[in-house]
Amino acid sequence: MRTPINKNMRRGLAGKIIGPHEWIGIPALLAMAATLIMATNIPLPWGLVLPEPVWPLALAFSWPLIRPSYIAPFVLAALGLFLDFFWGAPLGFYVLLLMIVFSITFLIRSYIVGQDMTIVAGVYVMSLIGFFILGTLLTTLYAGQVPRLLGVAEQMFASLITVPVMWWLLDKYLHADVRFQ
Amino acid sequence: MPYGEKSSFEAIKVPLTWGVMVIVAGLCIIGVLLFLGDRRSDMTEASYGNRAGFDAAAGPANNLLSTPAHWVGGIAGWFDDYLFAVSENRRLRKEVADLTQYKNSFLQAKELNRRYETLLQLRTDPEVAMVTARSVSVSRGPFNNTRLINAGREDGVKFGHPVINEQGLIGRVVGTGGQVSRVLSVTDVVSRVPVVISRTDARAIMAGDGGGYPRLEFVRGKDAVKKGDQVLTSGDGGIFPRGLLVGEVVPSVDGVWRINLYTNRGPIDMVKVLKYDDFSNLPDYTILSTPPVTDVLPPPPAPAQGQAAGQGASSAASSSVAAPVAAPATARPTATRLTTPPATPPAQPATRAAPQATAPRPAQAQTQAQPQAAPVTPAPPPQAPAAPADGD
Repeated sequence: MRTPINKNMRRGLAGKIIGPHEWIGIPALLAMAATLIMATNIPLPWGLVLPEPVWPLALAFSWPLIRPSYIAPFVLAALGLFLDFFWGAPLGFYVLLLMIVFSITFLIRSYIVGQDMTIVAGVYVMSLIGFFILGTLLTTLYAGQVPRLLGVAEQMFASLITVPVMWWLLDKYLHADVRFQ
Repeated sequence: MPYGEKSSFEAIKVPLTWGVMVIVAGLCIIGVLLFLGDRRSDMTEASYGNRAGFDAAAGPANNLLSTPAHWVGGIAGWFDDYLFAVSENRRLRKEVADLTQYKNSFLQAKELNRRYETLLQLRTDPEVAMVTARSVSVSRGPFNNTRLINAGREDGVKFGHPVINEQGLIGRVVGTGGQVSRVLSVTDVVSRVPVVISRTDARAIMAGDGGGYPRLEFVRGKDAVKKGDQVLTSGDGGIFPRGLLVGEVVPSVDGVWRINLYTNRGPIDMVKVLKYDDFSNLPDYTILSTPPVTDVLPPPPAPAQGQAAGQGASSAASSSVAAPVAAPATARPTATRLTTPPATPPAQPATRAAPQATAPRPAQAQTQAQPQAAPVTPAPPPQAPAAPADGD
């Protein structure tokens, strides 16, 4: 018979309890801030421009692996809406893309959690590729024109910068709270 | 309730996994509905209204972020100028020497052009008011190419205004807030700009695809395009004025013509918003009606006219001296078009009259065009059309 976690046990675990504001709220705010900073128009020498990675993609992949949550999908949808507004995309474009990544990762989370980090990173890169393929299809659908595929590859390459972010999130929060198991 | 037992709330078995999946499915459906309901190709001023508040908040935030970067850039530029002042000075001296000869040629061509415009009674483009702004934020991904500038409705910026910089065309305003506007770049996937090939006058459409080299589509005419041709806006459709610099034609590896935008030459920082209103927004669209060419061109000289005809022409010419007094009042600063010759007396300046059969039209034309084109030097009165009649 399993022992219910009573108040005494909770008091003992209090130092390890991770609230949603820690693994959902703060990373979401950081992703928004990073998006804002990367979009700043800073003239760089030699015609260089700042990269434009899709920061919330790391959250869409990490959150369902950390633990099932009712809050995370709503926050992720809000982040998608933020990208739609901020980057001038049609409403729902990034909401849909991020939610699809979230849902697929959520469905296969039991196969990913516990794997070696290299394999997890590989799966993340695959989800990143799927994200941009789907984005290309949706753009072709509404614009009637295929976006420049080299540009898609460039942004996909720039978004690889989010791999360490995903790594850090999983390393910090995946086993941080016993309630997450 | 005994200590250590579950509360009634904790006893509720919530199927967390299924609950999350239901939420995710619901959010996906909402995303699909939002996406289907927002067609950017049909973007209008009204459809942007729900985004103006967001941009009003994001614009100042990005402006705040870019300010220290510009400070650092300015300091770096100062050091750069100091270290390379000698070589820069040499380069500029050579450039000034090269450009001096072009300046003289330009002044000659400008004066010649002014005379031609006077002869043809061509009404040139009026000066378009501009607003200078700074690009504070940019989205440069393959799916969206827009930027925020720190000038908005309070500065007179309206939906549809073209945006340029010192290099060429950047895009057009698709949304305005109080002090911030969103500019749709010509490289965006939904951007379509009517253009003209400068060398052949062939019309085409520049279609953005998210990259720096938009496609050239629907090129009209055979062999109308070759590498290096200059591309300008054609003015068709009325969104952009005619003649804005766009770029040069280059062949691409996928077998289509593309345009190497002039704005690719450097970073886009300061921009100018042209307060150029769409033709469809003109309060009086009748000013766009162009008179027939026969009304504008000088009439052919009569083949065999006697002295009486010559006298008649001379008297008509002398009587037309009074016309210039009222002619400037009929001149209205509008878009490029040919003017209606004011053959009627000054009391009826707006009516279109039948073409005059006599010679003094060039004299009228010159006077009428004066408010538009300030003379560099006093132009001699064009007498060429009247000469045959007087000579008889």
